[in-house]
Amino acid sequence: MSQSKDIQFDGLYAHELTVSRSEQILLEDADLHLAPSTITYLYGENGAGKTSLMRCLAGLLPSDQGSIYWNKQPINHADSSYFQDLIFLAHSLSMKNELTIAENLSFYANLRLKAGISQQSLSKQIYDVLLELGIGGLENRMFAELSAGQQHKVALARLILEPAKIWILDEPFVNLDQKTRGWLAAKTLEFKNNGGVVLFTSHHHIDELPVDQKVGVEHE
Amino acid sequence: MILTLLKRELKVARRNWIGLVIPLLFFIIVVSLFPFAVSPEAPVLQKLAPGVIWVAALLAMLLSLEQFYRSDYQDGSLEQLLLMSSPTSVALSKILAHWLLTGLPLVILSPLLGVLMQINHGFAHADHTWVLMLTLVLGTPTLCLLGAVGMSLTLAASRNGLLVSILIIPLYVPVLIFGASTVTASLENMRYNGELAILGAFLLIAIVFAPFASGRALKISVG
Repeated sequence: MSQSKDIQFDGLYAHELTVSRSEQILLEDADLHLAPSTITYLYGENGAGKTSLMRCLAGLLPSDQGSIYWNKQPINHADSSYFQDLIFLAHSLSMKNELTIAENLSFYANLRLKAGISQQSLSKQIYDVLLELGIGGLENRMFAELSAGQQHKVALARLILEPAKIWILDEPFVNLDQKTRGWLAAKTLEFKNNGGVVLFTSHHHIDELPVDQKVGVEHE
Repeated sequence: MILTLLKRELKVARRNWIGLVIPLLFFIIVVSLFPFAVSPEAPVLQKLAPGVIWVAALLAMLLSLEQFYRSDYQDGSLEQLLLMSSPTSVALSKILAHWLLTGLPLVILSPLLGVLMQINHGFAHADHTWVLMLTLVLGTPTLCLLGAVGMSLTLAASRNGLLVSILIIPLYVPVLIFGASTVTASLENMRYNGELAILGAFLLIAIVFAPFASGRALKISVG
């Protein structure tokens, strides 16, 4: 099924996507287009399948039918840069309790950037981001020693440290104080204005973040 | 990429060393109980030595499997690793780190247990300790590789420890047979090149297929 030549859409495009979880169909024959420089808000009740859809778009959950394209190329294609371009922040923070904050963050940055990054400038960047987030000076503390909110902030710091073109964020605003919500909204807007694609979920309306597109997942 | 993953594994393990010491202690304790339970006489112990040390090593490896992918799966980092690097290299670096942290210490401890089991009794010149170590060097990586496949297949199941044991032990048996019989052959002054070659062949086959299989299984378990 090589229909990739027919795809005219830049950004992320899901074509006739069917997603199911535990034999329950969450999404049937859906087309979804996330263009560059747009912020898309994914809404739906608890258990409606927002997370499953996000995991499917991130390539973690196989879809039953349909295909997903990134810049006109199937995401699993060998030439696709999708996984290089994607940051997917899930509910679980994906940080190791046994490592310090700086070790956790630089591990992911090194994994993405592979070669060609000076460790010195990386640790400077980490220092700066943590300072912006109000947890400056904690970079050598163990991840396990932080409070839940601080741990969440560390996970968000990845968005700044790793270059990407698409963010898929599952409930990024949960557990955050007012100031950090503003910070995240500002950074998201900045990312969008630089041509980034954003997909996020949230249970509350975020005043600080203007949304270009709303997509709903509903129970049958 | 594998190097980055490996460094992280070793760093996490260093801060979490208790979990690594337990299988080693188990290994030492099991072997050191045999002289008390069976007989402290050297010829008897020597005859038992290859089997006892190998069985203890196998069980210690099985014990250590529990911490293979589990914590990465639970805190969500496995998902991120699979997004950012190929499944095979994730599996490969995990297996390599796991062997360095569990298999290699077993190999290093084995001469001590060889002495305890009187493995060189009655031989003035032959040194069977080296044979024992060599079989463990070839055998324990195979156990790691096979265990990785089992662990990645059963990640999503809760209480998977028992399940993995049932799944994996049949695959461990050939390694055990050839590992122990190499040492026995050496003790009986027979040639053991054939057995050693088969152990090596097991290892090569496992190196080729297991990281790939484990990587694919990880993908399925996460999805």
